Amino acid sequence: MIIVKDLHKTFENNHVLRGVSYHVHQGEKIVIIGPSGSGKSTFLRCLNLLETPTEGQIWFDGINITDPKTDIDKVREHMGMVFQNFNLFNNLTIMQNITLAPVKLKVMGKEEANENALKLLERVGLKEKADVYPSQLSGGQKQRVAIVRSLAMNPRVMLFDEPTSALDPEMVGEVLDVMKGLAETGMTMVVVTHEMGFAREVGSKVLFMDEGVIMEENEPQEFFNRPKSQRLQDFLSKVL
Amino acid sequence: MWFEKTAKMFDAAFISGDRWKLYIKGLGVTLQIAVFAAILGMIIGTIVAFMKLSVKRNGKKTILAVIANIYIDVIRGTPSVLQLMIMWFIIFSGAMNGILVAILSFGVNSGAYVAEIVRAGILAVDKGQMEAGRSLGLSKSQTMISIIIPQAVKNVLPPIGNEFIVLLKETAIVGYVSLTDLTRAANQIASRTYEPFMPLIGAAVIYFVVIKILTILLEKFERRLRKSDNR
Repeated sequence: MIIVKDLHKTFENNHVLRGVSYHVHQGEKIVIIGPSGSGKSTFLRCLNLLETPTEGQIWFDGINITDPKTDIDKVREHMGMVFQNFNLFNNLTIMQNITLAPVKLKVMGKEEANENALKLLERVGLKEKADVYPSQLSGGQKQRVAIVRSLAMNPRVMLFDEPTSALDPEMVGEVLDVMKGLAETGMTMVVVTHEMGFAREVGSKVLFMDEGVIMEENEPQEFFNRPKSQRLQDFLSKVL
Repeated sequence: MWFEKTAKMFDAAFISGDRWKLYIKGLGVTLQIAVFAAILGMIIGTIVAFMKLSVKRNGKKTILAVIANIYIDVIRGTPSVLQLMIMWFIIFSGAMNGILVAILSFGVNSGAYVAEIVRAGILAVDKGQMEAGRSLGLSKSQTMISIIIPQAVKNVLPPIGNEFIVLLKETAIVGYVSLTDLTRAANQIASRTYEPFMPLIGAAVIYFVVIKILTILLEKFERRLRKSDNR
């Protein structure tokens, strides 16, 4: 579904990604872990071209999205993204946050978008918040709304960029629960996180990134119980 | 008697010969220039702000951004009195309508400051807002119109109000190109009565009251905007 070929990204003099290749298949839940500065967030942000790769190719459903001629806006309609800082639209109500893109991009009509939004909000237990503004929500609620906002576009894949890192500890669970629920529906997911429990439980593959490359990848059981590289062993001994 | 003397001064400054009409007429000129220059300045400023924010695909400045920078540099780098005199005596030296030239001059001047205010207001919106919009498939301009600009308006309102107040007072220099605004009217009366106290203080009070009213209106408007989205 997503094929990444020899991806490089350089900021100024900082070579963040040093040749990343990977293949995400439909329905997989890829969890990416690694120390800060390892390039994992940059890698994720390259997948929907929020960062422009310096070198290499990314293919999504048979389209080369790194080709400048590709209409990236069209591609992004099918790739949802959830950010660390939620990034809900501050000037719009929760309902408007969710329906803005589907209506503007003519994915559905206003009525249908409203109904769909309410259904999705109900699924994450926030139906009664439809008409409030983001500033009136807690962090956990904001992130659940952000997930719903992406889902409203019926994406084929969801990207999560450290979705629980900016949350108070007691709110991490509610967001992870929504993500687990989403995983059960068969959604293809790529998740950058520090939540090892989530990686172990939900991941179909876990990747360890360090120094701009994928250093190790494996099924969760193997990955956590028998890490091969020294770097991963060190990393896991610190975080577990 | 000091009371009699004050009354006589007041009479000379405002009552006799219907001099109060001259203040009103002067205030009319001042407001006319200030209001239309402010509108012109906001139009120019908004356009220039977007010119300055424009970037090419490779992240380099566009030619529009370079032009915007030169404009802002020149306007901010020269006194507004000089700009007015250059407009009046050189660029539009044959012009009949002085007020129009003054509006143009102050509008062009104010535009440079408004451009920086608008640009700062847009940049102050968290860049995550644009990223979120783009990640949903919205184009840059769609995100700008629906998300960024509504939030930027709230950011720029206080400094825009301030800019308008500065502009209103700055118009006092139109006396240099022989337009009779409030300040010049007061000065003319002072030189006719040989009593500068009353006309000058009187003009100052009029400016103060006008600006105070303006400030109250701006505060009201700002409060309403903030309430509408519970920030």
